[in-house]
Amino acid sequence: MENLIVLKDIVVKFDGEQVLNSINLEIRDKEFITLLGPSGCGKTTTLRIIGGFVEANEGDIFFDGVRINDVPPYKRQVNTVFQKYALFPHLNVFENIEFGLKIKKMPPKERSAKVKEMLELVGLKGFERRSIDQLSGGQQQRVAIARALVNRPRVLLLDEPLGALDLKLRKEMQTELKRIQQSTGITFIYVTHDQEEALTMSDRVVVMKSGNILQIGTPQDIYNEPINAFVADFIGESNIIPGIMRTDYHVEFAGNSFECVDTGFDPDQLVDVVVRPEDIKVVEADEGMISGVVKSVIFKGVHYEMLVEGAGEDWLIHSTVASEPGTLIGMNILPNDIHIMDREEEPVLSEQKEDGNED
Amino acid sequence: MKRHRLIKNSWVGAVMAFLYAPIVVLIVYSFNSSKSRALWTGFTLDWYKKLFTNEVILSSLMNTLIIALISTVFATIIGTLAAIGINAMRKWTQALILNITYMPIINPEIVTGVSLMLLFVFVRDRMGVPLEMGFVTMILAHITFSIPYVILNVLPKLRQMDKNIYDAALDLGCNPAMAYIKVVIPEAMPGIISGALMAFTFSLDDFIISYFVSGPNFTTLPITIYAMTRKKVSPEINALSTLLFLIVLVALVAYNVVDSRRENNKEY
Amino acid sequence: MKISRSTAMPYIIWMIIFTVIPLILVTYFAFTDGNGTFTMANISEVKDYVAVIFRSIWLAFVATVICLIIAYPLAYVVSRASEKKQKTYLLLVMLPMWMNFLLRTYAWMTLLENTGIINRLLVMIGIGPFAMINTQGAVVLGMVYNYLPFMILPLYSNMTKIENRLIEAAQDLGAPSRKVFSEVVWPLSLPGVMTGITMVFVPAVSTFIISRMLGGGSNMMIGDLIELQFLGNAYNPNLGAAISLGLMIFILLCMSMLNQFNEEDKEGMII
Repeated sequence: MENLIVLKDIVVKFDGEQVLNSINLEIRDKEFITLLGPSGCGKTTTLRIIGGFVEANEGDIFFDGVRINDVPPYKRQVNTVFQKYALFPHLNVFENIEFGLKIKKMPPKERSAKVKEMLELVGLKGFERRSIDQLSGGQQQRVAIARALVNRPRVLLLDEPLGALDLKLRKEMQTELKRIQQSTGITFIYVTHDQEEALTMSDRVVVMKSGNILQIGTPQDIYNEPINAFVADFIGESNIIPGIMRTDYHVEFAGNSFECVDTGFDPDQLVDVVVRPEDIKVVEADEGMISGVVKSVIFKGVHYEMLVEGAGEDWLIHSTVASEPGTLIGMNILPNDIHIMDREEEPVLSEQKEDGNED
Repeated sequence: MKRHRLIKNSWVGAVMAFLYAPIVVLIVYSFNSSKSRALWTGFTLDWYKKLFTNEVILSSLMNTLIIALISTVFATIIGTLAAIGINAMRKWTQALILNITYMPIINPEIVTGVSLMLLFVFVRDRMGVPLEMGFVTMILAHITFSIPYVILNVLPKLRQMDKNIYDAALDLGCNPAMAYIKVVIPEAMPGIISGALMAFTFSLDDFIISYFVSGPNFTTLPITIYAMTRKKVSPEINALSTLLFLIVLVALVAYNVVDSRRENNKEY
Repeated sequence: MKISRSTAMPYIIWMIIFTVIPLILVTYFAFTDGNGTFTMANISEVKDYVAVIFRSIWLAFVATVICLIIAYPLAYVVSRASEKKQKTYLLLVMLPMWMNFLLRTYAWMTLLENTGIINRLLVMIGIGPFAMINTQGAVVLGMVYNYLPFMILPLYSNMTKIENRLIEAAQDLGAPSRKVFSEVVWPLSLPGVMTGITMVFVPAVSTFIISRMLGGGSNMMIGDLIELQFLGNAYNPNLGAAISLGLMIFILLCMSMLNQFNEEDKEGMII
């Protein structure tokens, strides 16, 4: 696939503070790519660079091979679905969607045909004359998408578009967005702090943190082979345990030696070992490689979430079978489920991954 | 609880009586055939007839409207543009400009009036510009004290506005000027209108500042009223007050009816 | 956003010419004599009028206190009324304000005169007549009448923000009515009180119409003094400027002491 947008060594500073540290990113035509990261990681800034609302202090941005650093937003083949939608309250649904076409001086007949088509696409037929404040959050969301898509952009930028919706609606809109992206064939660049959203919808995910790109890959790559403990922890809950890589295929942690599938580390290198909660198998106390005492059990619907203390560590375990608090259990981990990563310099713990009306 | 309500109602009633008693007296005496302000000698509409043939009152009424209209138009345009600019400024320049902007509002009116008078006298006497106290100085003064009210009304509207609204207009193909005309200004329109209304009513009503910058050849209604109260009292003033009161009453009631109707419509 | 910043240019120029320079001129005139040479004479002459200045401050102070006493319960009652009633009350409070204040003051002249209605009524029931016009009491009455809405409106708009839930919460926590008022309502309404005080005191202390129309010649105030120096027989703009400058500084000092004139209040003060 061809690269549609290329960001090259992009640096952005706000009031002397570096918000983006030399970002390099290639975005392919017709893909659904998600910028994922906690508040203040620079994902919205990256989006605004592409939209033309923020000027890069250094670096270049190319669109279809042409440098567009100095092209103002209203001349870019890009449209945006803004955070909290930014619909024009003084215009009704029809007028909002029609806005871009009107600016382009499209004749009224064509205009209303296109608007109708769009309303159908987003499932809001018959809402033309409604005023914006009569719409629910989900409906406003759809209007915002229609208003952007009606201009037939090459790229649609979506800035946390589902952030203001409740959980059920969010799930619905996720499928909806994916459907719209596939049926229109437009490149979607999606910004979110919600890892689940990123994994569900994207062709590729870009994980960002404090102005840097940590990892780019398919959702599977990112989930299964996180590049470091931060990514692992941010993409779903993880157990992160300090360990030592003795040789290729052999790692020591939690007072035990484990077989693993990783290679290429220095002998006796200090590493972080990441194990997903669902990858720890609970067995009888004497059958496990590690044994521990169950501290708490919470029922989560699909599984039980257990906190187990053993070998000087706290272990988070997802299991379909619960063990009583206070019982001694054994834990086993398969080589495939052990992920080794370079030890990060700074502690990961302080990083928040809660919410983010960010940047 | 009942006694509570009685106290409440009588307090409200007493204050309202205090506020309206003088006005009622004025209205009643506008129909009194005697010139006396105390004796009731019979019903007449003479004072109204006299009022409408009084050249001085009619011409100053005209002047008042002209001044209010012109100064409101200028103040609204300058003030709205100013609010847009101020909103985009850095914090400390914004604070500096707003503080100076509030000066005419905070300052006693008499100081504003005196300071403007000094300016016009200075320009005329020391700089030799033939600037006569009258129409021009009055317009300049009224624009000056009206602009802050426009800014005060428009700025909060701009601040409340989702910053992305402007970006969204650019995103959809507007250049910056168009984005302001098509989106930002319509969005701030309620603030612009209330600012303009405020400017208009303050201009109509202003006496103190006008008093210091007016000349003998150009007077507005408040100045004429002042002159009338200084001289031998004429019941024409009562008639004039009654009419003005009725106009305001009708306007306010109409405005409220329209307003509540609009709100009712919104609920559907 | 660079383009938009420049839209303030016309206003900034206007502001410099018509707000900043005039205030500089007031200062300049205050410190010069008729020929433009520097002098402190105007400033030191101001102290000859200490009596007038103190009278102004005293009368304005009394009027402000009375306004507060009348307005506070009223604003509270209105703010607790049903929404429809609130609108009506508000309209009733604002309506007199829309009448020119000269006319309103003139109406009181009619009422208070020695042969006016009040005195006639008093005579009829066998007391009076009293000399009411041309007294300090009449001046205070005129101030209270004219500026009462300026006290009611900021108090009201502040009190509507005090939610009933807070009062209920205080009651729930065992506070008797008096405590509910002193511990919850009063502290929360203080910003409104401050705004109201400034909005009544500032015009009251600087008025020259009310004192002239209701106070006669013997109750001169700062405003009259200033007016006399510019448009009256005493013509002396330099002294007038000095008094104006003093008045302005006094007001600004009072204001910064009240220190409540933050932006929010200012935006809320005009309904």
